[in-house]
Amino acid sequence: MQHRFTNINAWTVSAVIIIFLLFLPNLTIVTGLFTPSNENWEHMKEFVLWGFMKNSLILTAASAFFTILIGLSLAWLIAQYDFPMRHFLKWALILPLSIPPFIGAYTYHGMLSYTGVIQTTLRENFGMAINPAYFDIMNLPGAVFIYTMFLFPYVYSIAQVYLSRQSASLIESTRILGKGPWKTFFQVVLPISRISIIAGASLVVLEVLNDYGVVKYYGVQTFTTAIFQSWFGLGDIESAIKLAASLMGFVILILMIEKILRGRRQYSYSSTKVRPLPLIPLSGWKAAAATGYGFVILSLAFVIPVAQLIDWTVLTYGTIPMGEFMNYVKNSVFVAGLSATLIIVFALIVGNFARMVRGRLGKLLPRLTVLGYSIPGAVIAVAVVTAFIGLDRFLTPFYVWAGFSTTLVLSVSIVLLVTAYIIRFFAIGYNSIETGYDKIGTDFRDASRTLGLGVTKTFFKVDMPMMKGAIISGFILVFIDVLKEIPLTLILRPFNFDTLSTKAFQYASDEKIMEASQASLLIIGISALAIVFFYKFLERELD
Amino acid sequence: MKKYLFLVIALTALILAACGGQAKEEKTESETATETNESKEVNLYTARHYDVDDELYAKFEEETGIKVNVIKGEADELLERIKREGDATEADLFLTADAGRLYRAKADDLLQPVSSDLLDEQVPANFQDTDQMWYGLTKRARVILYDKETVQPDELSTYEALTEEKWNGRVLIRSSENVYNQSLLASFIEIDGEEQAKEWAAGMVNNFARDPEGGDRDQAKAIAAGIGDVAIMNTYYFGQMLNSEDPEEVKVAEGLGIFFPNQDTTGTHVNVSGAGVVKASKNKDNAIKLLEFLSAPEAQETFASANYEYPVNENVEPSELLQSWGEFKEQDIPLSTLGEHNAKSILIFNEVGWK
Repeated sequence: MQHRFTNINAWTVSAVIIIFLLFLPNLTIVTGLFTPSNENWEHMKEFVLWGFMKNSLILTAASAFFTILIGLSLAWLIAQYDFPMRHFLKWALILPLSIPPFIGAYTYHGMLSYTGVIQTTLRENFGMAINPAYFDIMNLPGAVFIYTMFLFPYVYSIAQVYLSRQSASLIESTRILGKGPWKTFFQVVLPISRISIIAGASLVVLEVLNDYGVVKYYGVQTFTTAIFQSWFGLGDIESAIKLAASLMGFVILILMIEKILRGRRQYSYSSTKVRPLPLIPLSGWKAAAATGYGFVILSLAFVIPVAQLIDWTVLTYGTIPMGEFMNYVKNSVFVAGLSATLIIVFALIVGNFARMVRGRLGKLLPRLTVLGYSIPGAVIAVAVVTAFIGLDRFLTPFYVWAGFSTTLVLSVSIVLLVTAYIIRFFAIGYNSIETGYDKIGTDFRDASRTLGLGVTKTFFKVDMPMMKGAIISGFILVFIDVLKEIPLTLILRPFNFDTLSTKAFQYASDEKIMEASQASLLIIGISALAIVFFYKFLERELD
Repeated sequence: MKKYLFLVIALTALILAACGGQAKEEKTESETATETNESKEVNLYTARHYDVDDELYAKFEEETGIKVNVIKGEADELLERIKREGDATEADLFLTADAGRLYRAKADDLLQPVSSDLLDEQVPANFQDTDQMWYGLTKRARVILYDKETVQPDELSTYEALTEEKWNGRVLIRSSENVYNQSLLASFIEIDGEEQAKEWAAGMVNNFARDPEGGDRDQAKAIAAGIGDVAIMNTYYFGQMLNSEDPEEVKVAEGLGIFFPNQDTTGTHVNVSGAGVVKASKNKDNAIKLLEFLSAPEAQETFASANYEYPVNENVEPSELLQSWGEFKEQDIPLSTLGEHNAKSILIFNEVGWK
């Protein structure tokens, strides 16, 4: 008995330390809630805040709705039916994740603008002068379109894996009982895939809430706009932090709702060998419709924007210096790989803690670490810088003793940047790992424990092998996100440190979207490779 | 039991080692910095990121042996970082593309005065901070672009005239989130007072051809698309479009005329990109050298023409394209007022509903 207890403690201690460290910088933000409101705050409240909040709500709700609609319908088609090109679409539909939304936004606007390929072609080749207002994407619905197209794979990828493997026996039973496809979908698939839908959609919601690039360019004023207006415009970082804190409160609410919606989870594996769902072949117009639907989405979310970027790369080839690009690639891959590895290790520890601990508070504690994902990157950056400078001050006697010339050591190093990435993207990795733990349930672990294996041994011998898929998918998602990340990288990087995304942003922010295409394509290419690798791995695992 | 505890400890140690290893690297770097300090390095935080800048820094290193270390970012965020880093900051020089931000750096006590005869000679007094906390390096004007087909230049006169009935539904300008619009309004607050500035902003909103969206280039495109007839834009965006790799953008720009407003009254609004030496700088001399280098005739030509801007150094001619637009009268106000009234201008924008 005592034996078991101490083991739990070792895991608990490291988990609590990780949670604490990840949450610490956010404290700067939480304290912002309690600062008294000043003139600027009152002004914001009077003139703009409610309008901004309304926009934010519509934007997140609509993006969540459409990503679920598209993500789940595609996941369902792929998991349930066989049709031409299904195999290709199955992994290709994850590819849109490799395009940073702000690049997607610039690219779509570039294509649809008056000088873009669509209007130009219509004008010059067909003599059609259609009202340019019809092509205006720079508004709220346009922003929803961008988020839907470049974020739906979060819902799709999680739901698809879940539906193909997890729910096979349940769905099969429904089929045997003679239910039609629609009834199966609404009465069985939707309820049982609730967890995976919520997991995917909450990532979308958080991503939309913290994004600034798309809405700023499209002129949609959101809650994030308010944060930046008070900070940059009014030079009032207190109001900005207060706003960020309110946003964080809102996110905590969402997370709690998510937890409640997940409810009692009871659909874990019932055997170690998970049978894939036998596919129903489609033929005739049905097959054509399924293939067509997949390709329409794939084209809008990946093929078309990438084709446009390639076109721009050709147009601007030779006009920008390319000599350093190998360095940018190296830097990007290095920070993304390091951050993803650390996040997965931490997530495994915290996730294992979460399923062992009893009581509501214990279950909720790990969710705190997810907060970083909801806050605009620039605000996290300030929080992290503040924390690190504090740390450096604390360590100053040591630095002096060691003979350093400067008292800022950690806060000008890459440790700062990687820490910020971990705080920001822990949610992504944790989500995968948590879903993975959910899926394997606790039966095997309990069996192993009953047979006398300790917690740690059980973890490595029983849990880990079943978690491989979750670990790799979590790693890839974080890796891609870091590769695309922009505000943190800009603010927190050490001297002379450029990545692909800072390079792409540098041009895009000067309204030179064509010049930004080279770096953007490299980001997309590397991410796409990672996705293909992930897919190949999953395939091998399943066979 | 010990075994498991050991595992956890090992893991923690591994992580610490990873961080520690990094710290060690830093250590050796800073150590080399100590030995060579004051002579071999200068650390630049810059919000200006053109490719040609890097070439100039390389040239500076070649000429002086001083290496320029660069962090590129957004102005406000860099300022916040310098502020948080306090006395320990590594930053020596802060470079940004808006006088308002330079003012804020000064107001937040992040800059220090520097005096250099060479700088005084190369940067005219009205493009320097009154306390010599910062120096302008390039300038740009915020002008009116008009549709050559539907608008005659003699119909245009001032920024204020754009609020007249005649321009109803024809005026294009980007969102008030953009600092160039904030500085423009700030200049009116300085010249005409708050009341009139607010009236102007309200009048503009009233005459908008559409809700503000996109960047400066998008306003030009909207003229070509027939959405509006006149747009307020920075000169360099017009220059960039005329020289774009995309023939369609060139076509749009060629359909536009450039007009420098308020020539008979208060002058056209100008803004600068400029730099100041950080208060806690540890390589002050090198920072001044870099400032002198960037405002010297050789660098000014590239530094300004790379982005179709006007050089501040009066001994340097602007590029041919800019000369073809002719000379113009500039607003005669201290540039720091753009920063002083920045917050006020945002409040006005919010109140009149300028998105």
